[in-house]
Amino acid sequence: MIRKSGWLVFIVFFAALLALVYLVAGPAIRLGMVYSLEKAVGAEVNISKVSLELAPLALRINNLQITDAAKPTHNSLSFGHARAALEVWPALLGYYVIDELTVDGLQYGAERSREGKVYRVPGVDSEKVDIAQLLQVDLPDADELIARANLQTPAKAEALKQLAATEQQQLKTLQTQLPSKDSLAQYQTDIKALTDSKVANAADLAAKAQQLQQLKDKLNSEKAKVEQVKQQLTHSKNSLQRAVEELQAASKADYAKMQQLANLSDGGLAGISQILLGDVWGERVAQLQTLYELAKPYIPEGGLSSGQGSATAEPEVVLPNRILPLPGQPYPDFWVKTARVNWLIGGGEATIALQDITAQHALINSATRFSLDVKQLPQLAAFNLSGDFAVLQQMVTNLNWQLDGLNLQPLTLGKGDTALDLAAGLISSSGKLNLTDNQITQQASVVLNAANFNSTGNKYLQQLANLLNQQQQIPLNIATTGLISAPEVSIRSSLDKILGDALLGEAKQKVAAYQAELQAKLNSQLQTGLAGQQDWAALLTQQDGEVADISGSIETMLSAKMADVKDQAKDKLKDKLLDKLGGGN
Amino acid sequence: MLTILAKILKVLNSQASPWQIGWAIALGLFAGILPFGLLTLLIVLIVCLLTINLSTFIVVWGLTEGLMLLFATPLENLTWQYAQNESLLKLLANTETLQLLHLHHTLTLGAFVLGAILLLPVAWLSKVLVMQYRSRVMSSVQKWKLTQMLKASKLFALYEKLN
Repeated sequence: MIRKSGWLVFIVFFAALLALVYLVAGPAIRLGMVYSLEKAVGAEVNISKVSLELAPLALRINNLQITDAAKPTHNSLSFGHARAALEVWPALLGYYVIDELTVDGLQYGAERSREGKVYRVPGVDSEKVDIAQLLQVDLPDADELIARANLQTPAKAEALKQLAATEQQQLKTLQTQLPSKDSLAQYQTDIKALTDSKVANAADLAAKAQQLQQLKDKLNSEKAKVEQVKQQLTHSKNSLQRAVEELQAASKADYAKMQQLANLSDGGLAGISQILLGDVWGERVAQLQTLYELAKPYIPEGGLSSGQGSATAEPEVVLPNRILPLPGQPYPDFWVKTARVNWLIGGGEATIALQDITAQHALINSATRFSLDVKQLPQLAAFNLSGDFAVLQQMVTNLNWQLDGLNLQPLTLGKGDTALDLAAGLISSSGKLNLTDNQITQQASVVLNAANFNSTGNKYLQQLANLLNQQQQIPLNIATTGLISAPEVSIRSSLDKILGDALLGEAKQKVAAYQAELQAKLNSQLQTGLAGQQDWAALLTQQDGEVADISGSIETMLSAKMADVKDQAKDKLKDKLLDKLGGGN
Repeated sequence: MLTILAKILKVLNSQASPWQIGWAIALGLFAGILPFGLLTLLIVLIVCLLTINLSTFIVVWGLTEGLMLLFATPLENLTWQYAQNESLLKLLANTETLQLLHLHHTLTLGAFVLGAILLLPVAWLSKVLVMQYRSRVMSSVQKWKLTQMLKASKLFALYEKLN
């Protein structure tokens, strides 16, 4: 049963296997990488060579180029060579622990020696962020500014109008259900006829009592209807009163906002930069949502629910992982201990250093730390970015940056009559950002130095360009808080007043006119509304009175007439009894 | 394809014992189901040390590897679903040897359990089938034109020579 040459066969097999792995692994990994990258990006991917080093165990990739599918003459990403040194024992256990990863000559958008093939034409890339786009602000005209001020009055006025119409309709319907004067008179006649008639005997009395009871029932049901109309009247009165109060409050708030916008109040114009840049910054910040979405599958469920504050969210479907969720996993599934990336950027070099890259930070008890240091580029004096990122009970990201002397390319803000050219300028910025799950807190200051603006637009913009050119610095303070998908952005500048005076020169007139118009409209709307309301109130009071009258007469009819008929019946019975007893003599 | 058919026929018609062929098929299936790793090497070592038919083992291993391209994902999903057992996960976490055998990997664990379950029945069934073939079918197969042609082919002659 034992094969004598068994060990020899096994050793030969094992040696052949090792030789095969050593010779074929590199080309096989290269083919696999090219295939999967091309599938992912939809464009040609070139890798010169992939080789496997046995001692220490490492993978080396030479000259990787990924064609930009949108611009096939250029690469979207390329690097000269990369080397990943793998730790042997974790690798034997099936964990990818990379001791050191180095990437040299990383470039974005480098030109290719020959055009790359495109397998899938890309759609519009809405996620791309570039600084030119960030500054590409459309200066709004006066109407747009008013629209952006988000006035509440028109909506409230419309709501009041609709409410009045609805209530009116309801009252009309109910009014038809009220008993008419004729029908009340008819009831009265019927009761009178009954009570005035003579009671012949006990059977007659019983029949009349029954007829009276029927009349009483009918009157009771009419009374219930009257009560319902009364309640509806009270409800309508209250609703209309509330709507009028809301309209008055909204108009007051809008008036204050317009005053602020038009620099009419003492506080000056606070929010012009907010109105100009708020939405743009908010959209950019919301792009960090992508980071949150990437980390979301790794955040423990408890952390997620507390972050979102929603208990009804459906549980996430957990996809099978390569490794089972062991209670005390010795290593993360994937862990790069140190990484150094040499990035060729804007005619210079930058070094990105990263430590502890993984998605299972709890296992290594440390956050992923990164720093980017750039100095003396042709278009940038210095840029330093540092931060950390960890997925524990929550995903926490901290980011600090300091950017000095970024040379701005000429750009145009706005278009047509409101176009403002920025011929030159230097941007400096510093700030910090904290992202905890999907909640963001960010503080930044941006300073535009030595700006050179031109405008051929209207006189207000020319005035603005002159004013801006006189400024040594144009500072902006930007703060963002709240949900990452809908952040609240606050942008303030000490130049807001100057900017507002100039930029809103034209707008101010429109704003003033609008304000006057708004005030007049509001007054008339309020007065019409209130007048209508007064009419309504009078109508309601009148109806209320009528209803009360009807209700009162029903009550009187019910009690008085019934008593009459009973007394009469009593008397008659008494007389009859006396007759039968012989006239009482 | 012809080579595989020739190999199978040659083994079936040879003097190799039905148990040797049966175990070769069962272990070939086991090695094929498992992702390549230390467990596969252990199976190869067993096959080398015992007088298990090597040709059959290699052919079945190769065929099963091909089949696993289709069945690996469903097997992985199934294992993930059923392996969420606290004591099993604790055992895997505390035993480094099991981790060295990659039994904490979803697919490897599933494949190991499936292979272990199939091992004995497949070995026995294969042995029975080989015996049935030899007693009932072998003589008629020898007379088939296809078999004659295969035997007459140069490839077969070369194969015979090499063996």
